[in-house]
Amino acid sequence: MSVLDKLKLNGKVAVVTGAGRGLGRAMALALAGAGADLVLTARTEAQLMETADLVRDGGGAALWISCDVTDSSSVNTMIESAISEYGHIDILVNNAGGATAGMGKTLTDIADDEWRVGLDTNLTGAMHCSRAAIPHILEAGGGKIINVTSGFGFRAARDNFIYTSAKAGLVNFTRALAMTYAPDIQANLIAPGLFPHGNAAMSEFWRNGKYTPMGRLGEDEELGPLVVLLASGLTSYMNGQAIVLDGGGLAGGHAPTGFAPLVPLPEDS
Amino acid sequence: MRDKFSLDGKRALVIGASNAIGRAIAVALAEAGADVAVATTTPLKDEETAANSCANEIWALDRKGFAQAIEAADEADVNALIERTVAELGGIELLVNAHDLPFAKPAPETDFAEWRRVIDVNLGGPFLACRAAGQRMLSDGHPGGSIINVASVLGERGLANGAAYCSAQAGVLNLTRALALEWARGGVRVNAIGAGWTEGMAMAGDDESRAKLERYLPYKRLARPDEIAGIAVYLASDVSAYLTGQVVWVEGGALSHV
Ligand SMILES: NC(=O)c1ccc[n+]([C@@H]2O[C@H](COP(=O)([O-])OP(=O)(O)OC[C@H]3O[C@@H](n4cnc5c(N)ncnc54)[C@H](OP(=O)(O)O)[C@@H]3O)[C@@H](O)[C@H]2O)c1
Repeated sequence: MSVLDKLKLNGKVAVVTGAGRGLGRAMALALAGAGADLVLTARTEAQLMETADLVRDGGGAALWISCDVTDSSSVNTMIESAISEYGHIDILVNNAGGATAGMGKTLTDIADDEWRVGLDTNLTGAMHCSRAAIPHILEAGGGKIINVTSGFGFRAARDNFIYTSAKAGLVNFTRALAMTYAPDIQANLIAPGLFPHGNAAMSEFWRNGKYTPMGRLGEDEELGPLVVLLASGLTSYMNGQAIVLDGGGLAGGHAPTGFAPLVPLPEDS
Repeated sequence: MRDKFSLDGKRALVIGASNAIGRAIAVALAEAGADVAVATTTPLKDEETAANSCANEIWALDRKGFAQAIEAADEADVNALIERTVAELGGIELLVNAHDLPFAKPAPETDFAEWRRVIDVNLGGPFLACRAAGQRMLSDGHPGGSIINVASVLGERGLANGAAYCSAQAGVLNLTRALALEWARGGVRVNAIGAGWTEGMAMAGDDESRAKLERYLPYKRLARPDEIAGIAVYLASDVSAYLTGQVVWVEGGALSHV
C-alpha cells in the first residue's frame, strides 16, 4: 500500500458547515473528490443547492440541509437529518463563520448584539455542531473534527475585537476537544491566510498579496488538499494543532513591517 | 486527490535516514513517487548499513536513489552531498533534514565543546543543507522547491537536562521561518515538522522513561514514524504550494495540555 492510499475517504460521511460558497464549498468538493459522502449546510438554500450540484457533477453524493449554526436547535435537527440519511458521521468541518456586523469597530462603539452575534457565529457555532456530532462520531468508531480559524486566531489587529476573540477562542476550543477525545477523535485547525474568492474588491483591499511573503493571495482550491489531509489517515497522530496556509504570512507578518527584510526584497530593489 | 499529492518526477534528499523518522519519510516520499537519496550522519560503525538498507527499500519501490554517510556539520561534506544528489538524480526539489544528535545532561556538567557539538549538528547541519540545496533550487528558477526540517516538541517546550538540545531545536524552528520569508518569492518553501515523542526516537530514553511518557500522552502511546511521514508528503507536494514558514506539529495533542 502506498502512503497516498491513506488519502481515500470512501465510506466516510463529512459534514461541512458554511458549504454554500467560498472556502466551505472548495473543501466540500475536495472531500467529495476523495470519496466522502457530504452533508452541506449553511443558511442560504440556493447556494447549498449549487454546491450540491457541483458535488454530484463530480460523481459524489451530497445532502444539503439549511441550518443556522448560531441556533443550537437548528444544529441538532441538521445533525439528526444527516444521521437519518447516512446512518453515521465521521468528519465534521466547522467552517461557517466570517465577518459579522460591527467587525472593525473600535471597542467603545461595539453593541452587545454585535459582540454576541460575532462570537456565536465564529465560536459558539462550532461548539453547537461539535456537541451534536461527537456522540455520532464516537459511535462510528472515531473520526475527525476540523475547525477553520484564521491568522486572527493567533494574532490581533487594531480595532479587530470581535472576530479575533472568537477565532482565538476556537483555537483553544479545538485543543480542549483534542485533549478530551484523543485518540478516538482528532481535532485540528486550518488557518487560512487571505482568500478573496476571486472578488476583485477584496483582492484590492489586501493589495493583491503584495505584503504577503509569497507575493500573492490564496486560491480557494488550495484549501481542498489540506482538508482532505486532515480528514485522512495520513494525520492519525496530529491532534489539537493548526495548519496555517497563508503564503508565509504568520512566519513574519502580513503587514509591510511584519517581515521588513534587512536587504530589500527583489520587488523593492 | 491521490494524483494531486503525487511526487512523481521530484528529486529528494533525506538527511538522517538512520533514525526512525528520517527513514519513514524517505520511504514515504519514494512511495509517493519521488526519487530519494538518503544520507546518514550518525558516527556509528553501522552508519553505512543503515543508509544502504533504506536505499534498498527505495530501490525496491522502483525509485532512483543512493546512500551516503556524511558529517552533518561539515560544509564540504554537505555541499558534496547536494552536488552528488543533483548529479545522480538530475536535480533536487525536496530536502528533508531529519538527522538528530540526542543529548541530555545537566547544564553545570555540560562542556562548552558538547554544547557546540549539539548546536553544530542539530542547528548548523540543517543550515548548511538548506543553504546548499536552497542555492541550487533558487538558481534552478522554477517553483516547486520544498524544504522540510524535522524538529521536535523540545523546540517549543523546555526540558530539564536539555539546555543544548532544546536550544538547537528552537533554533531550527526560527531558521525555518527566516528562510521561508527570504525565499518565499523564489519558489522555495521552507517548513518544519514538529515531531512529538516517536517510536525509535533516542530522546525518548529507555523503557522505563518511555512507559512514564506514555502515561501522560493524550494517546497513551508514542507516534509511529509513519504517522510523522504523512505530513512530509503533504509538505513536499505542490498541493501545499501556498504553505511556507510553518511548523506543523504532529504530537498527538501533547502541546495542547497546560
Ligand atoms: N476568506 C478568507 O480569507 C478567510 C481567512 C481566514 C479565515 N477564514 C474563515 O474561513 C471560513 C470561511 O470563510 P469564507 O471566506 O469562505 O466565507 P464566505 O464566503 O462568507 O462563506 C461563509 C459560509 O458560512 C456560512 N455561514 C455564515 N454564517 C452562518 C451561520 N450563522 N450559520 C450557518 N452558516 C453560516 C455562509 O452561508 P450563509 O450566509 O448562507 O449562512 C457561507 O456558506 C470562515 O470561518 C472564515 O472566518 C476566511
